[in-house]
Amino acid sequence: MFGNFLHLKYQFRTNGNWRYPGFVRALPGKENRQPPGPEPVSRDAAAADQRRRILEATAELIAEQGYQETTMEEIVRRAKVGYATFYKHYPDKEAAFLALLDAATDRTVGRVEDAYKREEGPWTDRVGAALGVLFEDVAAHPAAARAALVEAVAAVPEAAAKHEAALKRLAPLLRPGRELNPRQAELPESLEETLAGGIVWVLGQRLIAGEADKLRALLPETLEFVLRPYVGEDEAAREAGEVADAISA
Amino acid sequence: MPAEELGPLPAGRHGFSREQVAHHQRERLIAGLAEAVAEKGYAAVTLTDIVKHAKVSRRVFYANFESKEQCFLAAFEVVLDHLNALVAEAVDGVEGWPQQAIAATRAVLTFLAAEPDLARLCLVESRGAGPAVTARFNEAVGEMAPLLRLGRAERPEAERLPDSTEDSTIGSLVSLAHRKVAAGEAKQLGDLLPDCVELVLLPYLGPAEAARHAREQA
Repeated sequence: MFGNFLHLKYQFRTNGNWRYPGFVRALPGKENRQPPGPEPVSRDAAAADQRRRILEATAELIAEQGYQETTMEEIVRRAKVGYATFYKHYPDKEAAFLALLDAATDRTVGRVEDAYKREEGPWTDRVGAALGVLFEDVAAHPAAARAALVEAVAAVPEAAAKHEAALKRLAPLLRPGRELNPRQAELPESLEETLAGGIVWVLGQRLIAGEADKLRALLPETLEFVLRPYVGEDEAAREAGEVADAISA
Repeated sequence: MPAEELGPLPAGRHGFSREQVAHHQRERLIAGLAEAVAEKGYAAVTLTDIVKHAKVSRRVFYANFESKEQCFLAAFEVVLDHLNALVAEAVDGVEGWPQQAIAATRAVLTFLAAEPDLARLCLVESRGAGPAVTARFNEAVGEMAPLLRLGRAERPEAERLPDSTEDSTIGSLVSLAHRKVAAGEAKQLGDLLPDCVELVLLPYLGPAEAARHAREQA
């Protein structure tokens, strides 16, 4: 195993150039942090790369077999790092899992919030833009999404709390919709978090079924579901229809 | 019935057949697991905890189950069966889909509120008890879909609802109940009845009717 590791290590450094190996797929912010070209490997960059590999391996393994069943041994083997490297970054499996949740949540919820803020149209358009980015991100990173949306719920209490906190961050994007409803005073207090829970459930079910590629088609339906309590069924169906047309165009 | 109340199995000769004893032992183990899970959470529960609560030997455990996960699955099935029976009983003789949906929702919430440990087992612990339990959880929750789907016949507008309507509605309900139980407020699950009723009825009856039914449950 050690020989294998050395082999890989040198393979990346051919001609003295450092490139991220192909199997390290994008984790949060990778695009921005990736060195643009041949650059010396700094200690920080190497450490960041190790963490990325560890989190990526953790996400994949947990997506494949669940949190409880995933062992440290499998993580270090998949990440192609040694135990010492793992422990340099994280004290245990739980810490790596929690770091993964933070990274995945910050990336995705951050992008969703940005999309909501950037869209200047009416509230329904802003929600549509935000939901579109959420679905896109989940489809692009199914393993990390599954860890955050499905496994986090019951893996360890702290993970469940992070899952909750992420759901709560979506609520403020939906809440302004109340002003569009003439009966806003009667809407259930829990509506926003409950709708967010419904979205997460639908996404989670598709991830469990291994159908991340079918999320696009589900977007208009989910948007309709989310808008319905605020703007009524006709308006919600109209908005969903526009999004469906835009997708198929 | 909690294993505690059953006391130890009578030693020596008794009038039970071998099958009766085996069935009894299985039930004790299931009750023992439920108690142990309530005490420290599924992840921390050991085989020793289960057999201690059940007051049977490890050998008996292995005669009935291959693993802790399998025992959990059996406990989960017992609760699901019971919930199904309660729902069937609640909707029996009730006229009209909306009233049936309300009766079923009320039956589930009432039972889970009265049995907070089982509510936790079903809604929280089950989510982290391994792939087999997760699969069963999703399947069991999915079984609610056909009951909801009947609501599409209530109005012409409901017939053209998107395919995933049942899925997202169920997901909202599960999320709502899960949050309550995870917060340690399982006993107050009954408070969610109006919100749940509104969520369930909204796509099928429209906002105004759904809100009216919800208010009646408050």
